[in-house]
Amino acid sequence: MSPELIIAIIVTVVGASTPILIAALGELVVERSGVLNLGVEGMMLVGAITAFLVVFLTGNHYLAILLAAAAGVAASMIFGFLTLSLSANQTATGLALTIFGTGLSALAGQGYSARPVTLLGPLFPAELALHPIWRVLFGYSALVYFSFALVFAVWWFLKKSRAGLILRAVGENDLSAHSIGYSVIGVRYAAVAFGGAMAGIAGACFPLLLTPQWAERMTAGRGWIAVALVVFASWRPFRLLAGAYLFGLVMTMELYAKAGGGPLSAIPAELWAAMPYIATVVVLVLISIRRDASNNAPACLGKPFLPSN
Amino acid sequence: MQFRLEKRREPSKAMLYATPVVAVLLTMVVGAIIFSLIGFDGIGAVREIFFTPLTNAYKWQDLGVKAAPLIIIGVGLSIAYRANVWNIGAEGQYVMGGLAATWIALLTYGMSGWWILPLMVVAGIAGGALYASIPALLRTRLNVNEILTSLMLTYVSVQLIYYLVRAPWKDPMGMGFPQTRRFSADALLPNIFPGTIVHAGVPIAIVVALVAWFVMSRSVFGYQMKVVGAAPHAARYGGFSENKTIWLALLVSGALAGLAGALEVSGPFQRMVPGFPTNYGFTAIIVAFLGRLNPLGVIFGGIVIAITFVGGEVAQTSIGLSNAATGVFQAMMLFFLLAGDILVRYRIRRVVPQTAEARS
Amino acid sequence: MTLNRRTMLKAGAAAAAAIPLFGSKAFAQEEPLKVGFVLIGTVNDNGWNFGHSEGAKYMKAELGDAVAEPTIVENVPEGPDCERVLRELAQSGHKLIFATSFGYGDYVIKVAQQFPDVRFEHATGYQRSENVGTYNARFYEGRAVCGTVAGHLSQTGKAGYIGSFPIPEVVMGVNAFVLAARKVNPDFTITPVYISTWNDPAREADAARAMIDQGIDIVAQHTDGPAALQVVEERGAVGGFGQGADMSAFAPNAQLTSIIDNWGPHYVLAAQAVIDGTWESKDVWPGLKEGEVEIGPYGPKVPEDVIAAAEAVKNGQIDGSMHIFTGPINDHTGTERVAAGVTLTDAELLSMDWYVEGVIPPA
Repeated sequence: MSPELIIAIIVTVVGASTPILIAALGELVVERSGVLNLGVEGMMLVGAITAFLVVFLTGNHYLAILLAAAAGVAASMIFGFLTLSLSANQTATGLALTIFGTGLSALAGQGYSARPVTLLGPLFPAELALHPIWRVLFGYSALVYFSFALVFAVWWFLKKSRAGLILRAVGENDLSAHSIGYSVIGVRYAAVAFGGAMAGIAGACFPLLLTPQWAERMTAGRGWIAVALVVFASWRPFRLLAGAYLFGLVMTMELYAKAGGGPLSAIPAELWAAMPYIATVVVLVLISIRRDASNNAPACLGKPFLPSN
Repeated sequence: MQFRLEKRREPSKAMLYATPVVAVLLTMVVGAIIFSLIGFDGIGAVREIFFTPLTNAYKWQDLGVKAAPLIIIGVGLSIAYRANVWNIGAEGQYVMGGLAATWIALLTYGMSGWWILPLMVVAGIAGGALYASIPALLRTRLNVNEILTSLMLTYVSVQLIYYLVRAPWKDPMGMGFPQTRRFSADALLPNIFPGTIVHAGVPIAIVVALVAWFVMSRSVFGYQMKVVGAAPHAARYGGFSENKTIWLALLVSGALAGLAGALEVSGPFQRMVPGFPTNYGFTAIIVAFLGRLNPLGVIFGGIVIAITFVGGEVAQTSIGLSNAATGVFQAMMLFFLLAGDILVRYRIRRVVPQTAEARS
Repeated sequence: MTLNRRTMLKAGAAAAAAIPLFGSKAFAQEEPLKVGFVLIGTVNDNGWNFGHSEGAKYMKAELGDAVAEPTIVENVPEGPDCERVLRELAQSGHKLIFATSFGYGDYVIKVAQQFPDVRFEHATGYQRSENVGTYNARFYEGRAVCGTVAGHLSQTGKAGYIGSFPIPEVVMGVNAFVLAARKVNPDFTITPVYISTWNDPAREADAARAMIDQGIDIVAQHTDGPAALQVVEERGAVGGFGQGADMSAFAPNAQLTSIIDNWGPHYVLAAQAVIDGTWESKDVWPGLKEGEVEIGPYGPKVPEDVIAAAEAVKNGQIDGSMHIFTGPINDHTGTERVAAGVTLTDAELLSMDWYVEGVIPPA
């Protein structure tokens, strides 16, 4: 494999990994607060159509990212209101949110499918990325650098900041957090909103980073991969970074192997497609074996907060 | 004037039955208004989605056929969820049930005998239960969250269908298309009323729900499920094993999903195709909640969801409402239904500000 | 009332007579004919389903008041749901129903038995009955034209072909493309990449990237949508082809030409036949000659002599002087599969599951 090809593969892997990384980081924060939002796919689609429409109408990519985040927050607030204020079941509400986002985005996008837009260009001047080696470092759009910064930011927030400590406390033991005087519901609302914003931006990656168009259901299940990824990473930001790139690599290597031949091309397509999910289950098992009885999952994950009045 | 929520001592029976009805009504009103505002025929949409499916005998058959797998899977899930076991991989268990039944149908291809269909059903039940035993094993042995494992396994099962119908099980006479042979006559689920499309799966669904209702409300098993779900610590003192409950919950919900898969593949599908996973397993989660995790309620939930599916297509054919719009309608109804949950457990009290201050 | 009686008479006649559907002019309709279309995806997919909805519009425009506004049902899965939709259409007075995806076949046959007075046409299928016909388009003829252009323009002599699943329609397209290209450049190869989905644009784009990064400079596709073409444009590779529709808006330089699905004329003929009472069940497979498959405008990168060569292939297929599947044809292992001068039959084409020489076969 020539160095040029390796670099080309890296560039493609970065593209494939970025949206799932961003969406999964958002979901990681949500789950750390003790909430399971399975509506990631729906929020991503809402973000994708918003980003597409804004670029189509204004040509401003950064405004598109911003409004996609806002749209993701808006969608996540439906989930937040139902599950947090009305303590509806999180699993069912998340599924309903995905149905909603799929339908709403398709409705908003009707008539826009034959309209091309432009990708968000590289962040750094082209001179920096002339040589292939430099391209690996400086050749990407702002969304990619944002995803890396986000890994650090989420790690720092959860590990080092006071707010992050409160968030984790809420996720591990909501009743104690409540009795100390923290607003469990308030913290969870904030987490859900953050998750919505990140899912919106992850959705924006589709028309802005990967394929400059709108197509119904264009996220094609990446939201579910993001949910798997959070588990795969056992709720840790740096493992999530590694996991996102591993998933991206698996998804990309299949295509490179098939297009270029070689031993990997003999693996059936179905096995390639199943690999991220099998790997997630295996990782779950490994974590559990290593840590005996308890794994890393936030203790209150998916359970409603019901303080006795 | 202020409102506050006050927890009821007992879940309100009246609200339990009233909220789903109110939610459906609200969806109609709000849906009609919103869709009219954005330039659709809102009233027509409501009429076509919610009422037309109820207007003739053919549509009743459609509703039954569509609701049957949702009810069978939903009943299993409602039992598991009562026990606080969150199997959300019913779609995968449904798929494995369908594949197990297909396997029998292909092994017995060309043979005849009354035993073929029952064997397929048994295989389907076993297939679903076996697939659900993976999350059960991981949960009880290693304390791995079953929400996540059951979800992941669903995606694996779908790829397994793709592989099987593309390579080893491909119909030799199928012009190269990825699907199995059409099953022989004795591997097909019969229609119970000649001249209709109502297959044996429809009465089976009702029977499953009734039996489950009886077991859950009258037997020790049902009591164990509910106690472990509601108060695991108390249950331990009472001598109920939590692990045993988890196993039972996953095996029962997996077996019923597998049963639905076997009935679907031998009934409506009549062969295995890549389009076999039709989200019944995920939709049944919603059905279980619409039914308030009560097997009889699940019948209601299954029918309501079936109405919106059938009605959505009616709206497409009659007033040209797009598929996207019906998706939004469905989601809206779910949101209202889920929101209504709170009224079952809480009452809204109007409080005078002074009292509120005094209380806090 | 008269209308109702007429319909009932017709249904009665259909049930009573053994062959009621042939030439029953006596029952020519006065009310506008209701025509239904069942689609597997959405009309906004820029590809397959879009093509059928355009065909429906064309039919309405051509036949005017003789037909009602066509009814289009989107996102109908290949399974029991489709049976319900077909029945729904038949019950609501649609007398001609087009089912436009392969997997609808079993259900079309089933529902057609229940509604003997309704005519069904199943696209890309092979099962027929008294009131079920099948139709398809000879897209492979268009692919032969594209392959000719590719053979002339490719610098590396390597093309990629993005497909969803290796069904005969797709295999046929891959083979036609490379057979035509090898008539120009005998060393030409093509690599099919199957992505197991009809609609995942980001994955199509990544497949195109994987191809271009490994020396492939022509990207053909069988999946719907412009994603792969956009990548070709962005990367500055030699080019690609629009699938189903002219996609030059997405890739003004990279689109060398396009294969346009033009179902409209067939829909007009079928609807007119039902109105006239002359409809009969048959298998129709028109192509370039009938205008059902069209070659779009050539892109700016295609020089005059290549256009001339491509047009020659196109016209040869129109006047019948050439057929891309005329032997000698070897399979990918080099074994002769079609003897010189022999042309594959339609039945052989429709069940094609082997690759010709020049295809680098997938696992």
